[in-house]
Amino acid sequence: MSLNKFSKLFEELDSNNSTNKKVNALTKYFKENSNLDNIWTIYLLIGKRNKRFISGKSLREYYADIYKMPTWLIETCYAKVGDSAEVISLLLQDKLLEKDIKEDISLDQLINKILPKLYKLDENKKKSYIKLLWEKNTKDNQLVFNKILTGTFRIGVSKGLVIKAISNMIKIDESIILHRLMGDFEPNEETYMFLINQKLELKELDYKPYPFQLANTFDEKIKETTLINEYQFESKWDGIRSQIIKRSNNISIWTRGEELVNKTFPELLKIISNFKNDFVLDGEILIWDEKKNCPKDFSQLQKRLGRKSPSIKIQKDLPVVFIAYDILEINGNDIRSKTLSERRNILEEKLLNSISKDPSIISEKIKITKLLKINNWDDVEEAKNSSREINTEGLVIKNKNSKYLPGRKRGSWWKYKIDPMQLDGVLIYARPGSGKRADLYTDYSFAIWKNNELIKFANAYSGLNNEEIRELDKWIRKNTLERYGPVRSVKPELVFEISFDNIQISKRHKAGIALRFPRITKWRKDKNIMDADNLENAIKMIKN
Amino acid sequence: MVNSKQNLITQKSKGLYCESANIWIDPYKPVEKAIISHAHSDHFSKGCGEYICSIETGFLLRKRFGNNINLKVIDYDKKLLINGINFSLHPSGHILGSSQIKIMAGSEKWLITGDLKRQKDNTCESYERIKSDFLICESTFGLPIFNWESTDKIIDDITNWVSQSEDSTSILFCYSLGKAQRLLSHLNSKNFKNIYVHKSIKKMNLIYKKFGVEHLEAKIFDNDLEINNLKNNLLLLPLSLNNKNFLKKFKKVKTGFASGWMSIRALKKRSGFDKGFAISDHADWNGLIKTIKESKAKNIFLNHGDGESLAKFLRDKEDFNIKQLKEIK
Repeated sequence: MSLNKFSKLFEELDSNNSTNKKVNALTKYFKENSNLDNIWTIYLLIGKRNKRFISGKSLREYYADIYKMPTWLIETCYAKVGDSAEVISLLLQDKLLEKDIKEDISLDQLINKILPKLYKLDENKKKSYIKLLWEKNTKDNQLVFNKILTGTFRIGVSKGLVIKAISNMIKIDESIILHRLMGDFEPNEETYMFLINQKLELKELDYKPYPFQLANTFDEKIKETTLINEYQFESKWDGIRSQIIKRSNNISIWTRGEELVNKTFPELLKIISNFKNDFVLDGEILIWDEKKNCPKDFSQLQKRLGRKSPSIKIQKDLPVVFIAYDILEINGNDIRSKTLSERRNILEEKLLNSISKDPSIISEKIKITKLLKINNWDDVEEAKNSSREINTEGLVIKNKNSKYLPGRKRGSWWKYKIDPMQLDGVLIYARPGSGKRADLYTDYSFAIWKNNELIKFANAYSGLNNEEIRELDKWIRKNTLERYGPVRSVKPELVFEISFDNIQISKRHKAGIALRFPRITKWRKDKNIMDADNLENAIKMIKN
Repeated sequence: MVNSKQNLITQKSKGLYCESANIWIDPYKPVEKAIISHAHSDHFSKGCGEYICSIETGFLLRKRFGNNINLKVIDYDKKLLINGINFSLHPSGHILGSSQIKIMAGSEKWLITGDLKRQKDNTCESYERIKSDFLICESTFGLPIFNWESTDKIIDDITNWVSQSEDSTSILFCYSLGKAQRLLSHLNSKNFKNIYVHKSIKKMNLIYKKFGVEHLEAKIFDNDLEINNLKNNLLLLPLSLNNKNFLKKFKKVKTGFASGWMSIRALKKRSGFDKGFAISDHADWNGLIKTIKESKAKNIFLNHGDGESLAKFLRDKEDFNIKQLKEIK
């Protein structure tokens, strides 16, 4: 009763660009189907931790073997289509006979009972089992079925749409649904009942974070339309945005990516357990440079993130701090609807005041962000421009009277980022994108001069508009020098302005430098390759 | 096979060329004398001295260039002798008037398929099977991911798609010449409130009608029409109108595109249509293989698209002497 329906839902979502129509289709589907089907549908659509029963590569190999098609041909198709499940479903259209008996199956049966059998089979049995499953499915279901197999369910249905649909259905605020969807997700009826529960339970708040408030990009207009004293000014920390939750004896550290990182940062957990009050803090995890009293580079933090349980040595070498800038809950009271000024007072008074052990150790690990002294908009510019010196990304400008609201509410928080650093580079390599850009050249490598040689210094795949991408794609095809698999080297002729947030020495990169978040900001059609930057200039940008 | 002697047909920068008769086939640039396989604009150049083509193609060319062009039309199967070389045209099943070009020099027989389709189509003559020694076959959709569904299935899909959208106008983009008429001839007007077509499509419909292709009843859509009264109607429009400025005139609208490329989701997504209908006037993978095998040709050249993959596949599997066209010298 249900793979068929799910497949139809997929088709419907996939053939409507309008958000409203997608939400309506989802709402209708949820109303018509069983709780268990619905929760699996949600599980698949939000694609959080979809199990992979078989890799796309193996699936392609199995197809080649079963239907005696050369592997290189399937790989050529794959390069064109960009998705294993889709390639297989297209290839199968020709192999399946509609007259064969087709069975429908519930998503729960399929994902919980039938597909897990694959794990236990040896290669040969696995292959014949997959063939059997292919043959049992209708042509129309192949895409969805193979996507479930490969665990690659991304169809442009964002979590936001699912949340909107549920919210529509049970008339409960979206933020509550978002709340309920955070964290671990077991696809069973209970979870679904919980999701669509029209009564809000208090204990659900126990271990779950609040939806994060986000900042909008600074709008110059507010200089005219608002007064400077309506705002407080903070540094924009370049760390991991997190909430620390302490409720009774439960402590959880959640990142904005909705990951629970308790194990990654045991030292924070330990310190927090010494606090007397309960609270939910919003802030940033950073690696701290004690000597300079400012954060270390984000790349240092990345080294910590990669480790699930860091050794004592690592904890010492890469010491983390949590910089709190907001408090959302104190001793069980949700204070998000208080104004920012009120919350700031509570943060300052109640957080560090109520500790049981040596306050100095604690304040070393848990800090409250300092408010910057700003008297006029010129001060704002100055503070922004000097933020690179203290390794921050710029400023966050917050309305003192704002409540803490989920998402990007205009007018509450503004981020005012430092101007990016820029270098002009020459396009030297291109490769096709993936997914919906699978047969356009959209990923590029750029070079700068080192003496008389062009040397690769950056990869970038964003920043051009669709028209430019198409124009560049054509140019790349015409000006290819050599092909290395999917990568083409091209005639060094085009110059692009590459912007990035930071630059560092790196032994791993050929040019000896590594850029943070490089992106294309302009196609410099006015420049020729002799105008491109050189490595010397790039190295000068690295601060000591 | 290919010795040092030059082939009868060679590939030049202006297109395919038969030097012995000084004739170009579907040239990209103005030439003295050209045979035109069919009237899609990427298959002929303006400003040629003489155009040789089927009667239907001739009408379509005149519609595009006016009456001043120097046109020589020949019936399918009729021979045209130039410099001792025999040319004849045969249906390729692509669109109205589309032709394969058979070229005989002594006992050597060449066949240029032009664009071809193996599916049945009420709006043009079906592809004619012809044996040849040298085959130049199109290969626009030369990958096994391309397997066309039956026309009926696609027509059902389109009909359902329109009927499911009672609150919005359904715009189906398609090529004005060929695809539009094929769709119109299969769509059952009873299933729609109205079917409208753009005037560029209507123009082509009239020529189809002249040649006896019926059932192309559709109202003309023009910009004066009360645009938001088009709910539950189907609008066939050329791709050139697929832009934001035009589409924003409609309160509620959904868009589709009818093309073989729409079988790839990534392409559909990138082009921004709500829905894609994979219906093509070209041969699919199996159609191409069938065509190549039936020709019994000893030397095969593939033109357009993913020729290299299809060529390698048939070389490895069937030991065919098959290459991409760019290699004909």
